Amino acid sequence: MSAGGSGGEAPAAYPPQTIMAIGAIGGLAGIYLGHFLPPVFSFFGGLGAICAILWGADAVRRVASYGLGTGVPSIGMISLGMGIVAALFGLSVGGIAGPIVSFIAAAVIGAVIGVLANKVIGMGIPIMEQAMVEIAGAGTLAIIGLSVVIAGEFTYSAVIENVVANGYIALIFIIGGMGILHPFNANLGPDEKQDRTLSVAVEKAAIALVITGFASSLHEGLMAAGLNIAVGLAIWAFAFMKYYGFVKRDAHSVVGTGLLPSAEELE
Amino acid sequence: MIDALMANILWMVFIVVGGVLISWSVHFVPVGGAPAAMAQATGIGTGTVQLAAGAGLTGLVSAGFMMNVTKDLPLILASGAVGAMIMISVTMIVGTWVYVYGVGCVPSSAKVKVDPITKYRQDLYVSQGTEGHGLPTVSYVSGVIGGLLGGIGGALIYYSLIEVGITAGLAASANSSVTGNELVGIAAMFAIGIFFVNAVIPSYNIGGTIEGFHDPKWKKWPKAVISSFVATIFCAVVAVIAISQLGGI
Repeated sequence: MSAGGSGGEAPAAYPPQTIMAIGAIGGLAGIYLGHFLPPVFSFFGGLGAICAILWGADAVRRVASYGLGTGVPSIGMISLGMGIVAALFGLSVGGIAGPIVSFIAAAVIGAVIGVLANKVIGMGIPIMEQAMVEIAGAGTLAIIGLSVVIAGEFTYSAVIENVVANGYIALIFIIGGMGILHPFNANLGPDEKQDRTLSVAVEKAAIALVITGFASSLHEGLMAAGLNIAVGLAIWAFAFMKYYGFVKRDAHSVVGTGLLPSAEELE
Repeated sequence: MIDALMANILWMVFIVVGGVLISWSVHFVPVGGAPAAMAQATGIGTGTVQLAAGAGLTGLVSAGFMMNVTKDLPLILASGAVGAMIMISVTMIVGTWVYVYGVGCVPSSAKVKVDPITKYRQDLYVSQGTEGHGLPTVSYVSGVIGGLLGGIGGALIYYSLIEVGITAGLAASANSSVTGNELVGIAAMFAIGIFFVNAVIPSYNIGGTIEGFHDPKWKKWPKAVISSFVATIFCAVVAVIAISQLGGI
């Protein structure tokens, strides 16, 4: 099976630290703003999720460039698997510090899985431990951020009632996973560029905000839902045009080679 | 928090056993990935995670269905196992039809000369430049065993999580309204989360493709099972605490 990536460190225009800061600080800030502001402003949770998904996609890009031996989607799925476990745990015990507790729990689980992958399974990817911590953290923040869009807050009872009990959590699981695993999977190859991959991540995350915006109409009314959808669509349009520009920049010119030579010309 | 863990120690053991079973089951499922999708390798033409998740989630659904009518653990596990086995069998038989009648190749593996179950020679039928194609009998049988183990694992995790909730004073189906089943929702999501973690860890161990229990990579399973064991302990602690907290709200 195609391993995904060429087996080496991925060249990057934005250093990992910058993306990490955007993801962790932006993600938590968005989640807390969405929680404390009135329900109409729940799209801030979605903005936090966009930052987190951007971070997750960049971490997937870095680790998958080494070649996982299996598909890129698997690492996105483990991200959301760890994320959902850590997110619900943190919200249940943390109270107002819930997202931070979730984030720390995700980092611990991610570190354990990263160490196991390198030491026991022997994958031998130098950044595996760090990348697993980042990916788990990003998945957790993405889940909480999108839950805030639907529920308007992140208290455990509200999330359980408005997001988990009615099954919207499954929706968040898949669209959050798509945002993290899809960008690198879609762009990978010898000509992969960081800005192009990340513009897909923002675009996918904006679609997630639009879809959770639709779902939020059930608990927050049409006004908040409309605002969520409008913000999501605006970001989606912007990111998609950026992506289109990057594709045109990176595309190679199409050169006409003429028709196949005839039998006489070959002789 | 510690009280909740001590009260549910048996269920935590079951969750860890379930996680280990899922991790082991992945090694049985014949996964061919992208090369198999082009009929250049043996197995089903998609990744481990998708297959394991598909089989496991079907097992989860059929186990949950059985829990509507009985609380008998063996019956629930059997229901989960049969659901997962049906899912993986249907995937494999339809895949075989596509390979045989659509692509036009003979199910055969290049890794073993004769099929360990039917004793038919295979090397004559392997196309040049490929590692085999389709799903030979041994891969099919191996996949069904994988479905059995994965289904039992998934059902065991789901049942244990529901029991944790009941210990915390919740009811599994007291309220039959669409949005009233908090415990079912949270138990299902934790089971899916643990399932994905345990489906991905072994897929890193086998590195993409595996044909079944006759594949040389199959001998690497203890590494993945140990990794899954440790990872599931963490997931189980976290899940039990989160569900126990549900009793307080």
